[in-house]
Amino acid sequence: MSKEREKLISDAVEKAIAGDMDAINNIEDRVVRSKAKAALAKAKRLQKDGSSPDADLSGSDVPTVSNAPSENPNRMFGDRINQKFPGSLDGDLKDTHIQLKPDQWNDIAIWLKTEDDMLFDSLQCITGMDMGEDILEARYNLHSMKYRFAIEIRIAIPKNKAEIPSIEQVWRIGDWFERETYDMYGISFSGHTDLRRILLPDDWEGWPLRKDYEVQETYHGIVVPKVKEGWE
Amino acid sequence: MGIVHGQEMVLNIGPQHPSTHGVLRLQVRTDGEIISEIKPFIGYLHRCFEKHSENVTYEQVIPFTDRCDYLASMANNFGYVVAMEELMDIKVPERVEFIRVIMGELQRIASHLLALGVYGLDVGAFTPFLHMFRDRERILDIFEMTCGARLLYNYMWVGGLSHDLPVGFMDVTYNFLDYFEPKIGEFNDLLSHNKIFVERTADVGVLPPDVAISYGVSGPNLRASGVKWDIRKDEPYSIYDRFDFDVPIGEGIKGSVGDCWDRYYVRMLEMMESVKILRQALSQIPKDGDVHQTIPKKIRPPKGSIYKRTETPRGDLGYYIVSDGSPVPYRVKMRSPAFTALSVLGEIANGWMMSDVIAILGSLDIVLGEIDR
Amino acid sequence: MTVDWIFEWLNGLFTTLSGNPFFLIIAILVPCLALFGFITVYAFVVIYMELKVSSFIQDKVGPMGQGVGLHAGKWGVLQPIADALKLLTKEDIIPESADKPLFIMAPFMIFIGAFIGFIALPFGEYIIITDLNIGIFYILAVGSFSVIALILAGWASNNKWSLYGGMRSAAQIVSYEIPAGLSIVVVIMLSSTLSMQGIVKYQEGGIFNWIIFTNPFAFVAFFIYFISAMAETNRTPFDIPEAESELVGGFHTEYSGMRFAFFFLSEYANMFVVSGVAATGFLGGWQSPIPGYFNTPLWGIFWMLSKTMFLVFMMIWMRWTFPRLRVDQLMNVCWKVLLPISLVNIFGVGIWTLVFG
Repeated sequence: MSKEREKLISDAVEKAIAGDMDAINNIEDRVVRSKAKAALAKAKRLQKDGSSPDADLSGSDVPTVSNAPSENPNRMFGDRINQKFPGSLDGDLKDTHIQLKPDQWNDIAIWLKTEDDMLFDSLQCITGMDMGEDILEARYNLHSMKYRFAIEIRIAIPKNKAEIPSIEQVWRIGDWFERETYDMYGISFSGHTDLRRILLPDDWEGWPLRKDYEVQETYHGIVVPKVKEGWE
Repeated sequence: MGIVHGQEMVLNIGPQHPSTHGVLRLQVRTDGEIISEIKPFIGYLHRCFEKHSENVTYEQVIPFTDRCDYLASMANNFGYVVAMEELMDIKVPERVEFIRVIMGELQRIASHLLALGVYGLDVGAFTPFLHMFRDRERILDIFEMTCGARLLYNYMWVGGLSHDLPVGFMDVTYNFLDYFEPKIGEFNDLLSHNKIFVERTADVGVLPPDVAISYGVSGPNLRASGVKWDIRKDEPYSIYDRFDFDVPIGEGIKGSVGDCWDRYYVRMLEMMESVKILRQALSQIPKDGDVHQTIPKKIRPPKGSIYKRTETPRGDLGYYIVSDGSPVPYRVKMRSPAFTALSVLGEIANGWMMSDVIAILGSLDIVLGEIDR
Repeated sequence: MTVDWIFEWLNGLFTTLSGNPFFLIIAILVPCLALFGFITVYAFVVIYMELKVSSFIQDKVGPMGQGVGLHAGKWGVLQPIADALKLLTKEDIIPESADKPLFIMAPFMIFIGAFIGFIALPFGEYIIITDLNIGIFYILAVGSFSVIALILAGWASNNKWSLYGGMRSAAQIVSYEIPAGLSIVVVIMLSSTLSMQGIVKYQEGGIFNWIIFTNPFAFVAFFIYFISAMAETNRTPFDIPEAESELVGGFHTEYSGMRFAFFFLSEYANMFVVSGVAATGFLGGWQSPIPGYFNTPLWGIFWMLSKTMFLVFMMIWMRWTFPRLRVDQLMNVCWKVLLPISLVNIFGVGIWTLVFG
């Protein structure tokens, strides 16, 4: 980032905070203009929160280490989710993850993705877990590309009624991740358009990654080997 | 005015096909040559990696991780050991970190050479494939010199490495770097700016950045769509924050941003950046340090879980490891970049012709071992 | 030797039975058998050339051996013979749901299409099987015979991928006939005869009398003809019908053993025919480049063969350098680029000849 560009952006943002948007709109270069707009949004947000705007408006609103949220993101967002969707939190706020109840998960997901100052637009991973004692869990790792927040959401469900609302339409990768979780654990995702097995053949029986899984004896007449007899 | 409805043909590409990069079945519905729907079917290479990892100890999982993305084994190992070391709070000596970065970057060059060579083969150019393999062989020779294996290394262990660098490693690697840098210019002349290649790949299979992020695409595929995201720079692990390198993004030089040519060219530029990192690492590596020093005698991580991402040649590889205090993992989930890259194929390949589907699939650079685990 | 010459000689030998159709049959068969022998030798040479040239381009060594009988002979010379023997002894698989008569007929038809083009190629002043007075027109006409064979092969295999290959190749070959034909029209205009020997005789007098150098439009016409010829023989960058990485083999996927060898062989034979036509029409055929020297009949064969083999080498070189064009781009190039240029060429050659004599 050259010094002139930094200066240009910080000048434009100052003028815009004072009310004159033309300074930003008149910047010709599209990249610099968008950086200026982002810096303006950040400055406004910091003003709203009462803290002083960053002196170092380098034009990129990536939270550097110095101004990263000092509060644990899981705790912070768990609190906000609880305020917006009362009754959705399952237990207390924790540091490592947010534990949710499955009912309002779809609405919460849409809110997390579209809310302006969160923008969790990237679903990193859905992990299924067999917690023992007849409880299954689905763990979602979310990440915001713009603000670099990373949170983990866990939803626990009983084994005999393993249903979680699907978030396939919110994050499109949810389609395949949920199919994989269904394939391995038997958690069915309600509202998924095409829930079928992905890694195993369609007519396989059982949910392999559960701790109490027993491999089927034969598959279409082929014996599934359980003991490594005769192998080296 | 009537609309003529031809009959749509349903075809299978694969599972055995020269261009599907593994055993992959694409069920394709076409109207003449134009595709109207693609459904990938995977699972032909499923080897139950996650179930196995619940029955073996933490060290024994490492050879399993090798075999997932068998074309970039060092990167898989790297991701796993970085996640484990963060879970167990181990700090490895400097020399180990430098060697890991060197191996990771050499592996990146080797993997990109293969990806680009095979992509040329898919599009019909037979010669760059062999030239790139010739150069890749030299890298595999370096790996063989170090740990004895050419493809599946089991090299990076939790807390250290399996072997130290052999005598003469620095000379061989410097020779390779000096030999390789002008080769990239050769490849550019032969293939990248060739008019026929550009016509086959420019403006084909454009991946818009918001679609890419929603589908979880990462790595060179995401960077080619214009999003500047590289875990080595944005969430640095190991000692990557000490090196000075650029992150190339696609700029739509030959067509639109995010087309196949961009994905191809980003990989080409990344190889040059890896050469830069390698030169810096080779000059800064500390001369002494024991690579076996901080390897714990028994790996018993504290109870808890961790999700850690690292940058492999194909994108960001995530390991979600859950430990319950015993020497055997409770759950290891591997989130592979090729899985997400393949899922976006159904979205971007509609409306193109049959030859374009092969070109788009090649540009996404998938490895079925990683997708199916 | 022309068929006529043998016929006359037999008539002269057996004056009592002169005019017997039996003599005509012998007069036809003997040169054709000699031609068949020539094609076989040529096939070995060109397969070896392809192996070695492609290996050197790809930074390999290709087939190598240590001596006759060891591996593939010294420098791998016996490799093509090994290939031929292997293909001969392979199992002949006909898919169950394939259309049997058409499936069997296709390789024969394609070989016929390639073979009959040879009979009008001049190898020397008197060394031509038959000097048809419509020689070049005849070669262009029978060159498109292979289209039927390719469609048959694609259809009869009962395989969606082969069908793709067959359809694509039909479109491609039929389209590229046109620029090829129009470029030959340039040759015909300049030499004002359709007979192959006539065209070659027009170009006597050394290298600068060759048609390629008489006229800048004829120079361009040579390249248009060469590109269209490559497209007609299904060579990369126009090998979309047999695109290995997309269609696994296109129209010849289901063929094995000797039937596959026929497809292979006829592709190389086709390459020779089109190169021969280019050499005859544009590069002077069996004429020597230096007027007055090296023009005995034996030297004529040498010149013709070397010009043709040089063009075949160019085709092999281009195959291993370029990626392949997509089907619609292929058609684009033909109809929107090559066709207008060849029309302009005809026009231009006519005007040039009028103006500059």
